[in-house]
Amino acid sequence: MSSRRVVLVVGPGRGGTSALAGGLQALGMRVPPPEVPAGDRAARGPAESQWVVDLHTELLGRANVDVADARPSAWFETGKLAANGLLRTRVTEWLGPQLAPVYDPEKDEDVEPELVLKDPAIAWFVGLWKGAAIRVDVTPAYLTPLRHVAEVVGGQERPSVRTAAWVNVMLHGERATRGSLRAFVRYDDLLADWTVPIFRIGTELGLRTVTEANANSMRNVHHFLDPDLRRSQHTWADVPVPARLREIAEESWQALTGLAEPGGDTDARHATLDSLREAYVELYEEAEGIAASTADAARREGAAASTGPDQPKGLKRLLGR
Amino acid sequence: MTRSMTGLRNREGDAAYDITWPWSEGPLPDGLTCVFRVKNEARNLPWVLPPMLEAVQHVVLVDNGSDDGTPDVAREVVERVGATDRFTQTAYPFAVSRAGAEHLLTPPDSVHSLTYFYNWSFAQVRTAYSMKWDGDMVLTHEGVELLRDLSWQLRGSRAVVAIPRHPMTVESESVAWLDLGFRFLEPWVYPMGPEFTFVKGFEWEVREFPPSSERIVAPEGMCVELKWLDQDEFAHWSSTDFDAVRTPRKAREIAVHRAISEGRGDSFEGLRRVEAPPGVHVIDHVTGTWMAAATRPLVKRPDSLEV
Repeated sequence: MSSRRVVLVVGPGRGGTSALAGGLQALGMRVPPPEVPAGDRAARGPAESQWVVDLHTELLGRANVDVADARPSAWFETGKLAANGLLRTRVTEWLGPQLAPVYDPEKDEDVEPELVLKDPAIAWFVGLWKGAAIRVDVTPAYLTPLRHVAEVVGGQERPSVRTAAWVNVMLHGERATRGSLRAFVRYDDLLADWTVPIFRIGTELGLRTVTEANANSMRNVHHFLDPDLRRSQHTWADVPVPARLREIAEESWQALTGLAEPGGDTDARHATLDSLREAYVELYEEAEGIAASTADAARREGAAASTGPDQPKGLKRLLGR
Repeated sequence: MTRSMTGLRNREGDAAYDITWPWSEGPLPDGLTCVFRVKNEARNLPWVLPPMLEAVQHVVLVDNGSDDGTPDVAREVVERVGATDRFTQTAYPFAVSRAGAEHLLTPPDSVHSLTYFYNWSFAQVRTAYSMKWDGDMVLTHEGVELLRDLSWQLRGSRAVVAIPRHPMTVESESVAWLDLGFRFLEPWVYPMGPEFTFVKGFEWEVREFPPSSERIVAPEGMCVELKWLDQDEFAHWSSTDFDAVRTPRKAREIAVHRAISEGRGDSFEGLRRVEAPPGVHVIDHVTGTWMAAATRPLVKRPDSLEV
C-alpha cells in the first residue's frame, strides 16, 4: 500500500461532508483548485474541486442518475461508467498532476500534498477514483460523515423520496468502500470537539497532515468548524414518510453509527447492513410495482412531448384537429 | 442431451454426475462466484487464487485429474489467506476431450464433453452471478477492485462482462514478456439462470446469453494470463497446427511462444519485455505495479480478438 493518500469524502449533501472536508482542508490537506465558490449550500465554501464536480455532473447526466437517486438499479448505471477504460484514463490524467509537490510556507520546502476530494456525487463513482488512484500509486481512503437522516432530509419537499435516496446512497456507499481504508465520523462528534474524531481519523487512515499538524493549522480548524454549523435539528416528527421506510432508515442509521465506534467496522455489522440493503431493495421494488401507472403515464407524457411542437395539443388533440 | 427444467442427464447414465440447475431450487442470493476448472495448475494457483479470493464472494475449484498436486496447493493457499469458508473444492473424474478436433467429435451430453463439464461445474455455484476463470489468469490490483465493485453492482442487471486479458510469458523470476500486440477479449462474468448455460461450439464450449443482455467491457490491464517459457502450454489441444482464421488467439500464442524461445522477442511486434526490480518476482511486479503505471492504451494496434 502506498503511503501517499487521497481522501474521498463519501456521503450525501447536507450530511456533514462540507464540514469534514473543509476541516481537513483547514488542517492542511489540499483540495485541488479551482474550488467551487461559496454559496447557499455551504457558506464557508463546500471544499469541492470544480473539475471533480463538473466530471460527476457530466457522468450522472450520461447515466441518467440523480445525485440523490433512490433507485437501487442506479448503482449499476454508474458502475458501468466507472468500468470504462477511457474514463479511467481521463481521471488518472487529472489526478496524477494534483499530487505534484507544492510549496509549504511552514516548512519552506516543496511537499507532496495529501488530497481531499469531495462532492455529494462521489459515492456513485468510487470505483472510478479507486482505479485512478491505483494507477498513480496513491492509496484512496474513504471518509463518511454520519448525520441522522431526519436532520439531512428534514424541512425539504418530497421527504419520502429524499429519505429513500439517503438510505440508497448510505447503504450502497458503505458497500462500495467496504474492505478499503476507511473511517466513519458522527457529525455531532465533529462539531462537539473535532480534535477527537479528526485525530482518530488521521491515525486510522495514515494522514500525515493530521499526525504532523501544528498549532497554526489547528487554529485554522477551530476557526472553520464551530457548533453553529449545525443548522438543521429536525427529528422524525418533521419527516412524514411511510412507516416501513422510516423503519429501514432508522435501522440503517443505527447500524451505520456503529461503524464510527472504535473497532466497529466488523463482519457482523456488514451482515446487518447487507440485510438492510436487501430490505430496502425489496421495499423499493414493491413501491415501484405499485406506482407503475405513474411511471407509465410520465413515459407517455414524455413521448408525446418529444413528438414536436407542431403536434396538436390540449383540446385540439382531443378533437383530432 | 436430456434437458429438463431442473437439469441435465448425461448419456453415460452416471446419475452421480447428472446436473441439477441451482436456480431450480429457488432464487440464488446476491454475489459473484468464480469457477475454476483446473488440471495441473499447481504452479500458477499461488498467484491466481489470492487476488481472486479478495475480489469475489466465493470460489469454486473443480479439479479434473491433476497429477501435480493441484488440489493440495489450492487448499494450502486458501487456508493461508483465511478464506476456507468462501471456497468449495470438488473433482470431476472424467477424461474431458481436448479443445479442437477431439471436442468437435464428442457429444455435448457426454461426461467427456467440455460442454457438459462446464455445465456441471457451474451447477456448483450458489450465487446470482458467476464467472469463468482460468487457472493461469492473475488479477492485477486494479482488476481485484473492479471485480469487487461489479460483484454487487451487477445485481439484477442480467449484464455480461467481458474482460481483456494480456498473455504474459514468464522467462525467469525477474523477466517476462507481455503480449500487447493483440486485444484478447472474452466475456467472463454472467448471471446464473436458464438463459446462461453452456452449449457446444466447434473448438470448445460457448456460454449462451440472450440478445437483450447488456455487455460491459472492462478496461485493459485487469489481468494477465500466465505462460511459462519452460512449459508445454499447448498440451490441452488436440493439435498445435492452429488455423489463423478459426483460432487466431491460439495461432498468435504459439507464434509468440516460438519468438521468445528463439530469442526473437525484442523484434516481435507487440511483445513487451518487463524486468522486475531485484527481489521482486516478475508476476508480482507486473500485477502489483507495472500494469497500473503503464501508459494507456496498453494495446496499441487496432486488432481485436473476440473469442
